[in-house]
Amino acid sequence: MAKLSLMFEEKTVKEVPVGSRAVSIGRSPDNDLPVDNLAVSNYHARVYFEGGRLVVEDLDSLNGTFVNDLRVERATLHDGDSIWIGKHHIKVDASGDAPVPWDTGRKASAPRINETMVLDTRARREMLQQAAATGERVQFAAGRLKVPTLIVIGGRTDQKEYMLTNKLTVIGKSAMATVKVKGWFKPPMAAQINQREDGYYIGPGDKMPTVNGTPITGPVRLNDGDLIEVSGVRMNFVFRE
Amino acid sequence: MRIVSGGVTDLGRVRTNNEDCFRIVESLNLFVLSDGMGGEAHGEVASEMAVETIVKHCTEAQSDAGATMMGNSESTWSEKTKRLTSAVHLANKTIYDSAEAHPEQHGMGATVTTAWIDGSRLSIAHVGDSRAYLLRGGTLQQLTSDHSLVAEQVRRGILTAAEAEESEMQSVLLRALGALPDIEVDTEEHSVFARDILMLCCDGLTRMVTEPEIAGTLQAETDPTRAAEKLIALANERGGVDNITVIVVRVGAESQGWFSWLFGGARRRAARNGAAGGM
Repeated sequence: MAKLSLMFEEKTVKEVPVGSRAVSIGRSPDNDLPVDNLAVSNYHARVYFEGGRLVVEDLDSLNGTFVNDLRVERATLHDGDSIWIGKHHIKVDASGDAPVPWDTGRKASAPRINETMVLDTRARREMLQQAAATGERVQFAAGRLKVPTLIVIGGRTDQKEYMLTNKLTVIGKSAMATVKVKGWFKPPMAAQINQREDGYYIGPGDKMPTVNGTPITGPVRLNDGDLIEVSGVRMNFVFRE
Repeated sequence: MRIVSGGVTDLGRVRTNNEDCFRIVESLNLFVLSDGMGGEAHGEVASEMAVETIVKHCTEAQSDAGATMMGNSESTWSEKTKRLTSAVHLANKTIYDSAEAHPEQHGMGATVTTAWIDGSRLSIAHVGDSRAYLLRGGTLQQLTSDHSLVAEQVRRGILTAAEAEESEMQSVLLRALGALPDIEVDTEEHSVFARDILMLCCDGLTRMVTEPEIAGTLQAETDPTRAAEKLIALANERGGVDNITVIVVRVGAESQGWFSWLFGGARRRAARNGAAGGM
């Protein structure tokens, strides 16, 4: 019977057989093969038989599942393969299953300095592992996704609440605006809220908005609970869980 | 919406060959920019292959809506967005297959950043570290994420933005066309507003010129080609260590208010009648 062995520095930590039922792997203790590491998602991957072949499937994990050197969403496993999850290594014993050597057949030539190059999968995996070790913030953020929301507390708009799901949000009278402001003499694009890598920024459009009463001339990062006023509309910017 | 655009590519001050490639298809409002990599002139091959494949795929889809789509797409996307994403997948496969078939091309690859404006919708499809920027209401916003090692390290909090700028690893990409048989493409859809300015550029510009300088130049110079030339001149003044390519796209101001609605409406009706009469 096929089995999976969770390794830590060449030592077997835990072994589980793969039978007719899928083996689940993840950080949550209710997995068949729990892996206690922040770089591992709660329900990270599963391994099961399909049509006589052993298959590993990544469950949309944050840091990915690697078979040997290749990041996979779903892959057939062969005897002797290694599944890498975070910095943990799971050995695949699929005795009876013919081993197939894995080789991309492509060898990257040594890059010249200053030449743009693409990282191969091994280097990429190591980079991601290294990143995961220091990336606790990312893990926690993924666990409790917060949705930025605008709550209208004054003025006329087409909705009372807006979840900011797009990278670019426009507040104005335009038919294409996300927050549609109603009334005469309102500008098509009064202001904008843009998502950047470190948060949400409000910027002027045809009008100069205020944040907590202070007029802004350039992009200003929004904090939970900020009060925004523009074109006669008052809104609270909040992060909803 | 009335759209005017211009693009310029330049060797820079250090390189001896230009591995960048771009194309503007005015009739479609399709914009494609690619930065190639790989020694012995193969970077040029890869970037040109990327641009040609994408333009051809999108152009052909205009007359053959049933043309095969490559890669995954989301059901909410417009046909143009799906097509553009499919074109990038196809470009990846074309470069990869060519490198597999020609050993001397091994290791060649390319970034690609594409934009397609259809009415008031902007579709963006992107792989690599070239960039798309939107200047709206005086605010310059980067629309694309860099698929580079240092950018990923910044996102994960390992490096600060300042450290990333100093890093010797800036040339290391995590994603590029031609490296693997399949690729993940970043796709986005946005609404276009009057007076928006879109800019596509390669890293040869963004490593030499700051974002405030880009915003200032795009606002000061209303002719798209001249704006691109000025940005390239600035990058060359700073050393021009890489090839530099810039595409600038300006969305015309829309007439607004009841006054222009009355008179603009009359003009549009006259134009329609004129066109009908001429046919």
